[in-house]
Amino acid sequence: MNTVIRESLNAWWPEAWLSLGGLLAMVLGVWGGKAGAADGRGARAAAAVLWLALLAAAVALWRTPEATSSSLFFGLIVCDPVSLPFRWLALGAVAVTMLLIAASKELASAPRGEAYGLLGLIGVGLMLMAEASHLLMAYVALELVSLASYVLVGFLEERRSAEASLKYLLYGATASGVMLFGMSLLFGLTSSLSFSDILLSVDGMHQPMAGAVMLAVLLMLVGLAFKISMVPFHQWTPDAYEGAPVAVAAFLSVGPKAAGLALLLRVMGALEPVWPTIAPVVLGLTIVTMTLGNLVALVQTNVKRLLAYSTIGQVGYLLIGFVVHTDLGIEAMMLYLIAYFFMNFGAFACVVAVVNDSGSEALEAFRGLGRRSPVLALLCTLFLMSLAGIPPLLGFFGKFLLFGSAIAADHTALALAGILNSAIALYYYVNLVRLMYFVEPQRAGVLQPPWMLRVTLGVCGAMTLGLGLFPNALLQALRAIVSANLL
Amino acid sequence: MTLTWLLLVPFIGMLAVLALPRSSVKAIRMVALGATGIVLIMSLRLLDAFDPSLGLQFEEQVSWIPQLAIFYRVGVDGLSLPMVLLTTLLSFLACIGSFSITDRHKEYFALYLLLEIGMLGTFLAIDLFLFYIFWEIVLVPMYFLIGMWGGGRREYSAFKFFVYTLAGSLFMLLAILALYLHPQGRTFDMFELAAKGHTFPVAFQQLLFIGFFLGFAIKVPIFPFHTWLPDAHVDAPTPGSVLLAGVLLKMGAYGFFRISYPILPEAAQWFSWTMGLLGAINIVYGAFVAMAQTDFKRLVAYSSVSHMGFVLLGLASLTSEGMNGAMLQMFSHGLLTGGMFLLVGVLYDRAHTRELAAFGGLGAKLPKYAALLIFFSLGSLGLPGLSGFVAEFLSLLGAFRIEHLQVLTMISVIGIVIAAAYMLKVIQQILLGPLNQKWQALSDMNARELISLVPLLLLVLLVGLYPRCLLDLQSPTIQQLLAHILFGK
Repeated sequence: MNTVIRESLNAWWPEAWLSLGGLLAMVLGVWGGKAGAADGRGARAAAAVLWLALLAAAVALWRTPEATSSSLFFGLIVCDPVSLPFRWLALGAVAVTMLLIAASKELASAPRGEAYGLLGLIGVGLMLMAEASHLLMAYVALELVSLASYVLVGFLEERRSAEASLKYLLYGATASGVMLFGMSLLFGLTSSLSFSDILLSVDGMHQPMAGAVMLAVLLMLVGLAFKISMVPFHQWTPDAYEGAPVAVAAFLSVGPKAAGLALLLRVMGALEPVWPTIAPVVLGLTIVTMTLGNLVALVQTNVKRLLAYSTIGQVGYLLIGFVVHTDLGIEAMMLYLIAYFFMNFGAFACVVAVVNDSGSEALEAFRGLGRRSPVLALLCTLFLMSLAGIPPLLGFFGKFLLFGSAIAADHTALALAGILNSAIALYYYVNLVRLMYFVEPQRAGVLQPPWMLRVTLGVCGAMTLGLGLFPNALLQALRAIVSANLL
Repeated sequence: MTLTWLLLVPFIGMLAVLALPRSSVKAIRMVALGATGIVLIMSLRLLDAFDPSLGLQFEEQVSWIPQLAIFYRVGVDGLSLPMVLLTTLLSFLACIGSFSITDRHKEYFALYLLLEIGMLGTFLAIDLFLFYIFWEIVLVPMYFLIGMWGGGRREYSAFKFFVYTLAGSLFMLLAILALYLHPQGRTFDMFELAAKGHTFPVAFQQLLFIGFFLGFAIKVPIFPFHTWLPDAHVDAPTPGSVLLAGVLLKMGAYGFFRISYPILPEAAQWFSWTMGLLGAINIVYGAFVAMAQTDFKRLVAYSSVSHMGFVLLGLASLTSEGMNGAMLQMFSHGLLTGGMFLLVGVLYDRAHTRELAAFGGLGAKLPKYAALLIFFSLGSLGLPGLSGFVAEFLSLLGAFRIEHLQVLTMISVIGIVIAAAYMLKVIQQILLGPLNQKWQALSDMNARELISLVPLLLLVLLVGLYPRCLLDLQSPTIQQLLAHILFGK
C-alpha cells in the first residue's frame, strides 16, 4: 500500500504543490488582510505563495517521470500522455488569471488573497478532471471546480455579481444533480465506478440494459455539457460572465472548458460501445451549439456577453474534434484548445485594460482604441482575427485541422457548418476591430495597461502569431500524445 | 532566393516603416517608395532571366509543416509572371499616388506594404496551403485601407468586402482540405495535384470545382457575387481602388488558371458553358449598369465587372486564343483600370466631387488631363492599337470557335458597343461642353501625377501594338495547360 501511495505521489507532484499553494494562499488571504484594504499584505503574500506553488508545479510537471498509463491512487486517476496538455493548460490558466486579477481595477477593493486561494484549488480540480479514471473522482473534481467558481463569480460587491453567482449556482447544482443521477444509474448497471471496469461491463450489454445505459449516459452528458456551455445547457454562460469580474470570466471561458472536454473524452472512452448510438445526438448539438453561439453574439452590446456567446461558438468548433471520433480529431481539438487558450485570454486581457480605463463594459468603450493605444489595439485585433480564423494565426491553423478532421471522417456537414459559422462570426469580431480603428475615441488620453497585462498580452500575442506560423513542434508533440493514446 | 526576396523586401520595408517615428512622414514615404521600387526592379530582372519555354522556374522549396506535407514553395511560370509584373508595377505607381494621403502615414504605408506581400505571395505560391494564407492576408490590409482612409460609407464597404471575400474563401478552404485528404491527393503541391488531376472521380471534381468557384467568383467578381465591388471600389482611397481593380480581381481569375482548371480538368470542361454564360452576363450586365451611373468612380467600377467578363469568356472557351486573350485581358485591364482610377483620383482631389454631371468643358482647361483621360477611355472601350482591343478580340475569337459558346459570344459583343457608349459619355460630360464656372481655378496635373500615369500609358500602347511581348511569355504555359486539360498530357 505504501508503495502505491509513493508511486502515485511521484507522478502527482504538480497537483500536490498546487493544492498546497492554494490552501496556503487561502489561509494567508483570510488571515493577513481584512477586506477593503486595497491590496493588503495578505493578498500580496497569497499571490507570492501561489506563484511559488505554480512554479514548483510547473517544474514538477516538466520533470514528471515518463507518463504512465497505469492508474494511480488505487485507480482513481491516471496520468497518461493525454492528460499532459490539459494539465499544462490548467497551470497556464491559473497563472494568466492571477495576472488578470492583479491587473483588474474592479477587484482592487475585493479580498484578492482569497481569490488566489480559490483559483489555485480550481486549478487542482481542472487537472483532476483531465486525469479522472473513476466516476467518483470525476464528480469530486467537477464539484471542486464548480463550487470555487460560484464564489469567484460573485466576487464583485455589486448586485449583478451576486445575482450571476446565484444563477450559476442554481443551474450548476441542478446539472450536477442530474449528472450524479446518471452516474448512480451507471453504477447500478455495471456495479463499478472505475472507467476501465465500466468499459468491460458495458461492452456486450444487451437490451433492456443497453437502453438504461443510454439513459445514464445522456444524464451524465447534461453535467458535462453544462460545464462546457454546450447547447441546450449554455444559458448560464452569458449571465455568469456578465456579472463576474472580467478576469474570472476569462478564466471560466478557458479553464473549465478545456478540462470539461478532457473529461468528456475520458467518460466517452469508457462508454465506447454506446458511442455509435449517441453520436448523432452529439453531432446535432455540436452544430446547434456553434450556430446559436455565433448568431446570438451578433446582437450583443456588452463585451463580456459578446465573448460569452463567442465562447459558446468556439466550444462548438472544439466539439467537432470530439464528434469525428478519430485520432486526427482529438489532435485537432487539443491544438485548437491551445490556440483558444492564447487568443481568448489575450482578448480578455484587452477587455481588462479597457474596463480598467473606462469602467464600462459596453462595446462602445473600445471606440478609437487604435488612436489611444496603438499597440493594445493591434494585439486586440490579432486575437480577434485569430478567433475569427484568419491566417497565419494559430486560430486559423486549429480550425484548419478541425475542419480537416471532419472531412477526413466524412462528416462534410460538420465542416460546412463550421465554415458557415466562421463567416457569421467574422461579423462580430470585425465589428470590434471597426470600433477600435474607424471610429473616433470617446475619451481622450493614452491608455497605458499595467505590466501584468502587458506580460499577458505579449505572451498571448507572441504565441498566437508564432505558433500560427510555426506549428510544427506543437503538432509533433500532440501527435505523439494522441498516438500513445490508451483511452 | 530571388522570389523570396520579392516577399522579403516589402516585409523589411514594413518593419522599417513601423520603426520610424510617426512624425517623419517624408522618411516613411521614402521607405515605402524605395521598397516598392526595389521590388519592381527585381521583378523586371526576373522577366529578363525568365525563359518562357521552360515552364516553372526559380523554384524554391522549404519544408514548413512536415506532418501535413506543407511546404513553403514558390515559383513562377508564364501564368504567374505577368501577374507578378502587374502587381509590382501597380504597387509602385499607386505608392506614388499614395503621397496624397494626409493622415496616419505610418499605419497606411505599413498596411500598404503588407498588402503587396499578400498579393505577390498569392501569385508566387505553388503550395495550396501557402496560397490560401497569402490569399487571406490580402484581406486584412485592404479592409483597413478602405475603412480608415476611404470615403463615403467606408466602414460599410470595408466590412462588406471583408465578409464577402472571406465567406467565399472559406469554401475554397474546404475544397483544399478535401483535395489533400483524398486518397489520391495527400499533397498541397499544385503541380503534383494537377498531374493527378484526371484521376480524381468526376463527381468529386465537380464538387470541388464549385468550392473553388465560390472562392474565386467572389473575388473576380462574377455575377451575382459582384455586389461588394462597386461599394469597395468607390469608397476605397485612390491607391486602394487601383490595387483592388488592378490586382485583387486578377487573383480570382488567376485562381481558375492556376488551381481549378489544371487540378480539376474534367470539371472545367463540364463547367465550360456555365462559365461562358456567366462571362456574357458579366460583360453585358456590367456594361449596362456602368452606362447608368452618374458617379465617375462607380462607372469605372462597373466597367471592371464588364471587362472581367472577357476573362471568363476566354477561359470558358478552352482554346489557345481564348485563354491567351483571357490572360492578356487580365494584364491589360490592370493597366487600363489602374489608370482610370488614378485619373478619377486626380479629378476628385481637385474638385471633391465625382458627379459626372457637375463637370464639363475641362478639356480646354486641363489639357494634359484631357489627353490622358481620352487615351485611357479609348483603351477601355477597346480601340484597336491599344491593349484592350487585342485582349478582348482574342477572347471573343477563342469563344466563337466553340459551338456551344457561339450565341453567348455574339451577345457579349454588345458589351463592347455599350462600353464605347459609356466611355464616350465620360469624355463628353467631363471634357466637352461649356466650362462650369466653379472649376475656373482647377490646376492641371502635376509632375507626380504624371509620373504615376505615363508608364501605364506606354505599356498600354506597347501591349496594344506588339502584344507578342506578353503572348510569348505566357503562351507556352497556356499551351501546356490546354494539352493537360483536354488530352490529359
